[in-house]
Amino acid sequence: MGKKILVVDDDPDVRSFVLTVLEENQYTPMVACDGVEGLEVIQKEMPDLVILDVLMPRGSGIRLYRHLKTDDALKAIPVIMFTGIALRSFLKSQKVLEAFKGEKIPEPDIYLEKPVEPQELVDAIRKKLD
Amino acid sequence: MKIKKLLFVTKFESLCYDALHSLLDLRKSGLEHVVFLNVIEREKVSMRRGKGYVKEDEIRLKEMANIRFIDWAENLFEMGMEVGAYIEVASLIPKILDVVEKETPDLIVIGRSQKGKLEQLYSRSDITELTRRSPVPILVFKHLAEDKMVPAKLFERPLFATSWSNSSEKAVSCLKELGEVIGELHLMHVVDEKELKSTDTHKVQSVRKNERNRLEDLCREFAQKGISARPHVYVGDPETEILKAAREYQATLIVLGFSDRTALAERWLGSISRNIADKSMFPCLLFPVKK
Repeated sequence: MGKKILVVDDDPDVRSFVLTVLEENQYTPMVACDGVEGLEVIQKEMPDLVILDVLMPRGSGIRLYRHLKTDDALKAIPVIMFTGIALRSFLKSQKVLEAFKGEKIPEPDIYLEKPVEPQELVDAIRKKLD
Repeated sequence: MKIKKLLFVTKFESLCYDALHSLLDLRKSGLEHVVFLNVIEREKVSMRRGKGYVKEDEIRLKEMANIRFIDWAENLFEMGMEVGAYIEVASLIPKILDVVEKETPDLIVIGRSQKGKLEQLYSRSDITELTRRSPVPILVFKHLAEDKMVPAKLFERPLFATSWSNSSEKAVSCLKELGEVIGELHLMHVVDEKELKSTDTHKVQSVRKNERNRLEDLCREFAQKGISARPHVYVGDPETEILKAAREYQATLIVLGFSDRTALAERWLGSISRNIADKSMFPCLLFPVKK
């Protein structure tokens, strides 16, 4: 069985695209539709990698990413951000939250702006897992 | 009751980022999360004569909404806010209520109903429908002038028309949490002309005095929360008088409680709050009856 990869995205077309790419490359995909469900699956399944959207209902990827990187049990899980939101906005948001909450968190391992070609996604996954 | 999370329902025609921006002052009193909702009405994508369901139209409309939401969300994320979004093909009111259940917002923001007069007569407006069924307050957003400019500070001069009902009490508890945002609050109560039918001047004046005292007590409660409030007693038809007061004091917003009349009674007798929300030029913040 391949490594477990969780896709957290509210768009069914994006989930379907990523699932196909993962299955074709012998990974074991899992899905969640929003930030709340994403955290539940991560805590239960402890995936090897998370592919995370930002703009979602019931908890954005920004808050989920923050949660992951400040939780000792989860912070080692690598995260690929996969979103339409610009990196500049993501980083600025984390900076504001950092000033407000006082916790400094690392930048995401890889930030991919949608859309990407399948190979670009596979390369990013391999870079983190291999 | 704090407004920490708001649901912003938009069709992009009458309610855009400038409207949202005018609400961001609420961050000073706790707003931290905005959820966008765009409902694509079914008739726009389905069952065209000779075509049936048009999948391409759905994709195009969803992507157009997505592009707008991404742009808005980037602005809000950069302010450190939490943002979520729903883009759905559905019926408007059931979808709003569905998202309210999932997200539990403290406030729904929606644009003015676009239905025509004849259509409203038979089917009720979206606003009327929503006010009847929503468990949370609703801000019916309108542009104050013909040039569609949005007031920069929506809560600068709210006019709160109290009927002393339980929905008015709910409005009081919410307004008290907005001390950082409200400039000056105008409190009013409209005395029904029927109450002044006595020929005894003393009785008539004592009705006015009693209402004035109740309003002054409420003003003192607001003052304790750091909100400057002024009382006003009006007499006559509530709908007319509330709109008159809003104009006289250049209100930026009218705050009202929902009526607790039954749907049937409301159809025949009307509802002051819903009529004002549907027809007036002022943005209206409506509070539901506690159930």
